[in-house]
Amino acid sequence: MALELTVNGRRLEVDAPDTASLAFVLRENLKLTGTKIGCFEGRCGACTVLVDGHAVASCLYPVGLVSGAEVRTVEGLAAPGEPLSRLQQSFLDHGAVQCGICAPGILMALTAFLDANPRPTEKDIREALAGNLCRCTGYRKIIDAALGAVKNGSRV
Amino acid sequence: MSPSVIGRSIRRADGEAKVRGDAIYAIDYSEQGLLHAKVLRSPVAAGRIIKLDTSKAEQMPGVWAVATAADAPGRSGWVVKDARLMAGECVSYVGEPVAAVAAQTIEQAAAALAAIDLEIEPENAVLDVEAALATGARLVHTDWQSFDVVFPGVREGNVAWEARLETGDVDAAFARADVTIVDDEFRVPRQHQAYIEPRAAVARFESGRYVVHSNTQFAFQARNTIADYLAVKPSDVRLVVTTIGGAFGGKVDAYLEPFCAILARKSGRAVRLVNTREEEFIAGNPRENAVVRIRSAVTADGEIVGRVAECLMDNGAFSGELPFCTAVSAQCLAGNYRVGAARVTTKLVYTNTVPTGAFRGVLGPYCAFALERHMDHIANELGVDRREFRLRNIMRDGDQTPTGQTVEHVPFLEAFERIDEVVPWSSVAERRPYHGVGLAAVAWTTAATPASVTLKLNEDGTVGVVTAGSEIGSGAIQLGVRQIVSEELRVPPEDVVLLPADTDAAAYDGGAMGSRSVHMIGAAVAPAAAELRRQIFETASALMEVSPADLELIDGHIAVLGAPDKRQPLAMIAQTALWTTGPIQGTGKYAAAPIPFNPGCVVGNLVPTLNSITFHVHLAEVDVHPDTGKVSVVRYVVAQEVGRAINPTAIEGQIQGGVLQGIGYALYEQLRMEDGACVDRHLETYRIPTAFEAPPIEIILLEHPDPKGPFGARGVGEPPILPVAAAIANAVSDAVGVPFDRLPITPFDVLAALRERDHASAEVAS
Repeated sequence: MALELTVNGRRLEVDAPDTASLAFVLRENLKLTGTKIGCFEGRCGACTVLVDGHAVASCLYPVGLVSGAEVRTVEGLAAPGEPLSRLQQSFLDHGAVQCGICAPGILMALTAFLDANPRPTEKDIREALAGNLCRCTGYRKIIDAALGAVKNGSRV
Repeated sequence: MSPSVIGRSIRRADGEAKVRGDAIYAIDYSEQGLLHAKVLRSPVAAGRIIKLDTSKAEQMPGVWAVATAADAPGRSGWVVKDARLMAGECVSYVGEPVAAVAAQTIEQAAAALAAIDLEIEPENAVLDVEAALATGARLVHTDWQSFDVVFPGVREGNVAWEARLETGDVDAAFARADVTIVDDEFRVPRQHQAYIEPRAAVARFESGRYVVHSNTQFAFQARNTIADYLAVKPSDVRLVVTTIGGAFGGKVDAYLEPFCAILARKSGRAVRLVNTREEEFIAGNPRENAVVRIRSAVTADGEIVGRVAECLMDNGAFSGELPFCTAVSAQCLAGNYRVGAARVTTKLVYTNTVPTGAFRGVLGPYCAFALERHMDHIANELGVDRREFRLRNIMRDGDQTPTGQTVEHVPFLEAFERIDEVVPWSSVAERRPYHGVGLAAVAWTTAATPASVTLKLNEDGTVGVVTAGSEIGSGAIQLGVRQIVSEELRVPPEDVVLLPADTDAAAYDGGAMGSRSVHMIGAAVAPAAAELRRQIFETASALMEVSPADLELIDGHIAVLGAPDKRQPLAMIAQTALWTTGPIQGTGKYAAAPIPFNPGCVVGNLVPTLNSITFHVHLAEVDVHPDTGKVSVVRYVVAQEVGRAINPTAIEGQIQGGVLQGIGYALYEQLRMEDGACVDRHLETYRIPTAFEAPPIEIILLEHPDPKGPFGARGVGEPPILPVAAAIANAVSDAVGVPFDRLPITPFDVLAALRERDHASAEVAS
């Protein structure tokens, strides 16, 4: 069944049932493998994408719900060849990436959060990370990267 | 002269690909015509297979191949070759693979699995270590004597491997009239590595060889294991490592790779297999549950004159890498602090449970927990301050390890002092209600498995690096090795190009494990770079008509000494060499020299010495909530010997991540087993720390260079997890006034201890 969706500003058509997992469709149908699947049960947050600006666990999100909506994935934070987003750059500057498998989901969760809350406290950042697991970094450098990205009140 | 890149926190080479979502992990890797595989697993812990009929599954739509035990005749294991890929006659644990299917879609593969007719006649399972060791216990493997072994060792029935250490006259020490005997028993559960990327592999069969892509930490070991199971030559397998999404020991071998290889051969197509999160839990290889008993004979002035320790490790049904690691307990339970005579016995015991395996620091975290709890117990028994007791007994310059290795320089005292400068013991040790402080100290090794590297000067002046050492995520390759190559050849780090680990391209490498990559591969870089320099200087000397002695490398150029404007880019040198001496390349290799020790005091010890030793002291301060039992780590201080910090930010990252894994082990994580099956099958009940649990961590790096290490660097990655549960358990015990000798310390445990304590004191009062 053909299904229309908008991903990173591009209108696309996929052959998938309404009930298919958005994460699965992104990765397997559209080959956008930047969105990671760590558990397929909504616990790890690696699959976090934005639907109309809201962070969702795409592994549990039926693709039928995104017709007419704007889906944004990690590939949409910076177009190919374009400079990194402020948050992506801050992750590199702060050494917030180790294995990096959680990074796409965390970047999306924090992008949504920081867009809406440009002057967060450290506690706010921790709360924004509540749905994302990272096993490598101990979160410290991720928190620092998030704070660093909005240091001058600029958008991420 | 450009500043040295050693000691600078440059950014990692693979970072941009990772934040853009471009990096291809094993779960992302694909090939043309890819099939999807699923594995059928045993639902019972022990039993005989009386029927396994795959004929219906083979006829199911979309099915290309079905594999069973007959397709994998060989056995694998680092020391004891006991492991089979799939169960044939009998099953030995819940979750053991019995068959595998490759189909056009994952749904078709799952449907085919459901069509396999499997009947198992259950037998009595041996479910825990103590039952397995009981007289007359059923043998997990009746054919244990037939297993091949790589090293001879003590094995007997359900004991897969036994390691022993005996130094001095232990019985005499305990018989002394002037000693107090202090006795403890500790129990720890299984801890899962819980990397976020599941195990995943893709294989194809091409020209009679298996080409496998996977997220293994240890390419050559994975290659050998695939070859073992399939009973083919190791060189019939090519293993290429993808970007790895976390591993921590849990990907130190091949697991899914052999299934893909067999199914690829049988189907003629590329085959992918990815674990579900549930499979990770029920059929991964978590850190083993263990029982540790320690008994010490101590004089009134706090000298430990004798120790007897016993460590029982639950091996699960098969051995993997654990026999190789078993004797680590000797260093951990009789080392770090001075001990007169010692006897340490460690048994790795078969049970009908999922095989356990390596997790960052292997036995270290629970041996440290046991030893440091025991140290607090002794200090309290003697009425001595806990820190003072440690300082009196801590290993010092020139002391020997339990196996008789002399260590010239031991910066333990310095580490204690540096921590005291940050958090003065006198300010925290005084008892405050529901507030506690704990200390722990550990010496650790930098695993000495061999390393090799090839460097080539590309025609554009960049330097290609070929090594089978894989980037586990720590930055050991993408930062450490890259910075070392950059410094050795004076090329910018951006001009160092790293080839992913590939067993066809590179010579042997001992894998991303044991904190070894920067130290060992870095040491192999030195001779390779020297060879490259020799060839560069030779070519440049002829080209520039200057003696090699008057040349130097600088900023990707070769320049005349004292005349920096008279220089040629390395690209020119590389291109010139092509047609004069041939392409410029050099190889380097490194194997650590044997370290003298006392071989007479150990049996079954495959890791008797500590290579490029590191020293670690941690301090934890906790608050305990009297109503909820919640433990909060309010302050954490780490002093860590790193030799030379090649990239300080990356080292901080290792410490922050390792400490939080240790906090998980101390307070939250336990992979519960019931009737041989894993209870915790999801990240909902197997709780790894979130951003809320990450405490402030203060980090002190000690830098006493190791002359054998690259620019002095020692191993860094594993040890931050080692002392954590120990320091926290000591702090919680201090806060509550009751000893906590089991992990994890949950709020329920804290509340129960508080109730018991208050009940006991009420009784005393009445």
